[in-house]
Amino acid sequence: MSAIRNIDLPMSRQTAESLELGDMVTLTGPVKMTAGMPTHQRILDFIDAGKKMPMDLSQSAFFHLGSYSRDTGNGIEILYMNPTTSTRFNHMMPRIIRHFGLRCVGGKGGLDSACAAALKDVGGVYLSFLGGGAPLHSESIRRIEQVAWTDLVSHYRLVAMDVAELGPLTVAIDAHGQSLYDNLDASVRQRREQIIEQLNLARARRD
Amino acid sequence: MTIKDADIQKLSEDLYSWALRKVPEDTKVALAAARDRETTDTARRTLNMMLTSANRAENDNQFVCSDSGVPVYFVKIGTKADWNANIKSAIRAGFDHLVETIQPPLLKHVTNPLTNERSYSGRHMPIITYDLVEDADYIEIICSPKALGSGRWAAMELFTFPTLETIETYILDVAIKAGAQHCPPVVMGVGIGGTFDYCTKLAKEQTLREIGSINPDPQVAAMEERLCEAVNALGYGPMGTGGATTVLGVHVDYAAGHGFTPVAVAFNCWINRRTRARIYSDGHVERLE
Repeated sequence: MSAIRNIDLPMSRQTAESLELGDMVTLTGPVKMTAGMPTHQRILDFIDAGKKMPMDLSQSAFFHLGSYSRDTGNGIEILYMNPTTSTRFNHMMPRIIRHFGLRCVGGKGGLDSACAAALKDVGGVYLSFLGGGAPLHSESIRRIEQVAWTDLVSHYRLVAMDVAELGPLTVAIDAHGQSLYDNLDASVRQRREQIIEQLNLARARRD
Repeated sequence: MTIKDADIQKLSEDLYSWALRKVPEDTKVALAAARDRETTDTARRTLNMMLTSANRAENDNQFVCSDSGVPVYFVKIGTKADWNANIKSAIRAGFDHLVETIQPPLLKHVTNPLTNERSYSGRHMPIITYDLVEDADYIEIICSPKALGSGRWAAMELFTFPTLETIETYILDVAIKAGAQHCPPVVMGVGIGGTFDYCTKLAKEQTLREIGSINPDPQVAAMEERLCEAVNALGYGPMGTGGATTVLGVHVDYAAGHGFTPVAVAFNCWINRRTRARIYSDGHVERLE
């Protein structure tokens, strides 16, 4: 098996460009997360209005993770976190990726080819998280740095935190515009007729 | 003894909490078998992480997933059971109590579809369906909390006197549309025939069937087998990043209908949330999974 590489954040463009589809990595350092559609809309509104974001997303690792956060009175803690489906944000991500030059985005289910093109422009990658991996992902949290937009429900808030060996995560869109998701979709388009033919043959054998 | 509100309330609450922390045994067995069949590092490692996550959640009493879903219950009432309970309100009270007391707390996922506002309760929540079981002296409750990741890919369509090829092609196309999105490997439940409402109920119930169970109808069993092969041939694999296992099982049921033939497909993601227990007339509870 190929080794799982741990990468310190912030990730350099050079490191991002060295990652290949299917590679698995763990991440150590600062990351940002949210799982909210209203959050993405607010980010776009801030970009449009030229307003200062409550935290700096430039060249950051920005993940589609939902989390339960609560104020203990002695700082904020995250009880658990886990990815949400990134494709829900397809229509919003290209602008966000380009505006902030995001180095890593991630979640589950991938992003579309317009997002892959944006990642290529800025030298960023998409990392696939294990869905249903709350026990594994949550234990990588070292410290919560900031929770912004607390008017939103917990999983929609924008959270900045520090993680240690988050993952393993699978490189599913590389910094050169290649996407595992696009490759799989293309392969399925090409083979669909053949698979249907096999279904028909299997049925005919029974009849 | 008589089955009372308090029994139903307590059990509904427990079933939900168990469902969030426990991946069913048959599912773990199927995931391990899939891992041993996969040929790439990425697919094998991803399945391994699934098993590790499942075991960690169970042993440490944590949630497997942050999306605790919306409460969905199936109640099967034995016609010989001795009960005197407002089952619907008791289940609602059970879920409300769970929300107030569960550790760690749940995120707000119950959504008003007209405003997208989220909370812990809403119109017609929990979603409950009822059936009768003839001659049984128990009430069986199944809890299968439904989350967005796999819930949003269910589909149904109405055909008129379709051929099996039309039906199976449609099922395959629903799997293609879901693609990498629903936290595969999934369980696919399929309903064919009946009426609009009954067909979707059949599909949903088939997601609750034990993985590896063989359909007693040989024609349907053969359909399940070839559909399973066809969907796995798509190659989406664990978490949709490539591999030979996109589905752990395709479970099909059908009902006679009128020529207008609905076909419905529903998915359970790899954690396959499903807990089941019976309360007997003498009050004792049997946890089945």
